[in-house]
Amino acid sequence: MSGARDAIFAALEAARSVRVAARVRAPSPALPADPVAMLRERVAQAGGRLQALTRPGSLDEVEWPAPLDTLHHVYSAHPALASRGVGLATTDVHALAALELCVLRAELAVVESGAVWHVPRSPGERAAALLAEHLVVVVPDSGLVATLHGVYERIRLDRIAFGWLLCGPSKTADIEQALVLGAHGPRSFRLVLEPD
Amino acid sequence: MRVALFVPCYVDQLRPTVGLATLALLEAVGCEVAYPEEQTCCGQPFATAGEPRRAAALGRRFVEVFEAFDAIVAPSGSCVATLRHGLPRWSPDPRAHAVAARTRELCELLGDPATRPLPRGRYPHRVGIHASCHALRELRLGSPSESREPPRPDPARRLLSGLEGLELVEPARRDECCGFGGVFAIEQEAVSARMGLDRLTDHQRAGAEVIVSTDVSCLLQLEGVARRHGHPQRFLHVAEVLAAACGLDGDAGRTS
Amino acid sequence: MADRGMATGGRGLTEGDVADTAPDWTDAGAARGRTSHASRARRFVADAARTTWHDASLWGVRAKRDAAAAQVPDWETLREDAASTKRDALARLPELWRRFEERASAAGAQVHWARDAREHNEIVARLLRDRHVSRVVKSKSMLTEECGLNPFLEARGIEVVDTDLGERIVQLRHEPPSHIVMPAIHLRRQEVGALFAREMGSAPGLEDPDALTAVARRDLRGRFLAAEAGITGVNFAVAESGAIVVVTNEGNADLGTALPPLHIACVGLEKIVPETRDLAPLLRLLARSATGQAITTYTSHFRGPRPLPGSELHVVVVDNGRSRLLARPDFEEALACIRCGACLNTCPVYRRSGGHSYATTVPGPIGSVLAPARDPGAHADLPRACSLCGSCSEVCPVKVPLHRQLLAWRGVLADEGHVPRHRRAALAFLSALMLRPTTYHVLARVARSLARRLPAPILDRLAAPWTRTRALPPIPAQSFREQMRARRRRREQEHRP
Repeated sequence: MSGARDAIFAALEAARSVRVAARVRAPSPALPADPVAMLRERVAQAGGRLQALTRPGSLDEVEWPAPLDTLHHVYSAHPALASRGVGLATTDVHALAALELCVLRAELAVVESGAVWHVPRSPGERAAALLAEHLVVVVPDSGLVATLHGVYERIRLDRIAFGWLLCGPSKTADIEQALVLGAHGPRSFRLVLEPD
Repeated sequence: MRVALFVPCYVDQLRPTVGLATLALLEAVGCEVAYPEEQTCCGQPFATAGEPRRAAALGRRFVEVFEAFDAIVAPSGSCVATLRHGLPRWSPDPRAHAVAARTRELCELLGDPATRPLPRGRYPHRVGIHASCHALRELRLGSPSESREPPRPDPARRLLSGLEGLELVEPARRDECCGFGGVFAIEQEAVSARMGLDRLTDHQRAGAEVIVSTDVSCLLQLEGVARRHGHPQRFLHVAEVLAAACGLDGDAGRTS
Repeated sequence: MADRGMATGGRGLTEGDVADTAPDWTDAGAARGRTSHASRARRFVADAARTTWHDASLWGVRAKRDAAAAQVPDWETLREDAASTKRDALARLPELWRRFEERASAAGAQVHWARDAREHNEIVARLLRDRHVSRVVKSKSMLTEECGLNPFLEARGIEVVDTDLGERIVQLRHEPPSHIVMPAIHLRRQEVGALFAREMGSAPGLEDPDALTAVARRDLRGRFLAAEAGITGVNFAVAESGAIVVVTNEGNADLGTALPPLHIACVGLEKIVPETRDLAPLLRLLARSATGQAITTYTSHFRGPRPLPGSELHVVVVDNGRSRLLARPDFEEALACIRCGACLNTCPVYRRSGGHSYATTVPGPIGSVLAPARDPGAHADLPRACSLCGSCSEVCPVKVPLHRQLLAWRGVLADEGHVPRHRRAALAFLSALMLRPTTYHVLARVARSLARRLPAPILDRLAAPWTRTRALPPIPAQSFREQMRARRRRREQEHRP
């Protein structure tokens, strides 16, 4: 519909404001004195939990939402844990509905809000993060940034097809403002900090 | 300091004691007070009712009446806000800008270092301050609860806190609107009255005996709701409280 | 919380018709069955208990917003930043949208342009029809509400399921959302329980929010898995990268786009920002202003379709009155709105009159600014449904001077003939009087004198709108001016030799 396109651009040109807005830019704050403490608090406020590991490369210390040996369907992007059950069949996103646990590796965690920046490795991984009952996101210690300014300074949005900030379990407060975890997606969320 | 006193139309007609108290306070802090009798209305009711040209005509008249004075003072945050922001908008006349800049709310002036301090006053009552929206958010006399700007002084609160025996009690919502809003109080009478009732209830829960404001319009609204619901509080303008506390209310009893 | 597409659609809830019959969604409907905001608000406050609850719920959200703002040391600078970003964008929309189109297309998205609601709906319907789609999941988008997309698609045999829990609730009740972020904020849990029992077969009497949400989750999970397309709104479009950003708490926009092959994103012209880094201040403000969260659970950045065979991303860019608003210097700043809903939550009138009292897709202060631009005749009373307390302008994360715009609208609408003539005549008389002090003071004196003599019931009736809910103040015998004159005369006599 190029007619509509041309008409819209003509209308926008005609309405173009002569005022030039002076840009103000808020500073990108530095990390707070105790970033892990603040991150822990903000993840908790978002309905999640933070756990800082002491050893790199291993997930042995992680307090899983359920004993690992009771879980049949796991998707894991972390080399220390193998996928199993439908977690292996990532070509059919619908099959992932049975997932019990999804483990992601993310680049960055935002201390101010408790959000992580994650770029799924595949459409299957993206679906897994939504369909699993429990979500665990592993972020390296070096991935802490103070605020979203730090995220957008580091990422290249023009090089990816999809990326997201995740913060806590899926939630809603649409019934009388009562907070309910697990609206559509994961019911629990753990952020795991892994030493570099 | 030579000041001109502007007593807003509704104060003049419905609450003259506020004008008298204001006059007494100004004289007590060493002001030479003139009261230009040709004054009427700042134009606010017309501005809020969607008649900016009629408001502007009254604004121009206000400039004519008051431009000769170094300072203009009014016991109303709302009217001063209208004048300060409205006069420059309504007229390109530089005199309008100058008059706007010289027009001040009473408590602003009473806190001014160019005036003498008030005599020590005593007011042994539990007082709740009703923040007038326009004094607060338009004149920035105090810090609105929404804002994260650096705190600003609230001259009315400072003056009241200085009174011996006065106990300030704080409503849970510190600066919600009373629901007056000029023409709003009439056109949206049901919501307006409910706002007033909620504000009153909040003050009542805080234990206020006397509810004090910089604006008579808010007080008329709150008092009107209180009387209809049989609430016992008293509703006083800050000038009335200060004048009574400082023993300056000689004239104030002679009305009605 | 999802896209807050700008909206000016008139949704009329007529009196006596709150839930069980479908209200007429169109402006024409609003004009036909029109009652005033004041009368709808009167009906709302007549239920004192519900008003108390509604006010307290929303005040609670405002309090959370305050606490969230207090956690950010440079809050006011962030507002300045976000405000200037949006104004900068509004000042150069044509080049930003050209760049967006180029970059998004390069990433594999298809960009469509719609002048108005009908074109928007037709584009969406055509995309669905061409792909034989009959089941669509939609995440919250005020823009598609504004355009009336659901009934348009349903009339063409396409099932549209709103997936945001609040939206789903109001969809099943056949009523519009009453809030742009919390669509079902006007409903009690008992009402939701009864609805779910009827529509989803849950146990009658169920009213625990956890249990009710679980019921909806089960029902909607099946619909996500069966959907052939997902429709979302857009919170921000980024010119620099051709990306669109969608935020939700529930993850419904994500499920709706991660599973089906077709994603249609509908975006209003005002949603664009120049650069990726501009997202930082806006996103830091959005959720904090909206719900008091530091950030929403999901903040998804889409650039192109999923890398799976057959996947498509279509972006439908909609004008629908926005360029007209942009051409009005007094009101164009309203286009900076990011639909956080903070002005609704803080508005003392909205909290006590309910979203439906506005009869527009977007209610509250921002809705009252937007609606008259679209249909001044139908919404002329909205800018007057405001006490001008100014709280909305203080909470606005992008510093739209909302209460000033509401005041400005009153003058414009009066000039355009949308205020009753008798009301204007009364004001003309009063202002003429105020320009003639002598006449004014004589008349005022007479009026006071009469008021003091009249029996209270008669006086009350004369002062009717005020006295319906409030007592009149005691009327003084003498005005301040009269007392000053008396004093002057006394002094003159004393000084007379």
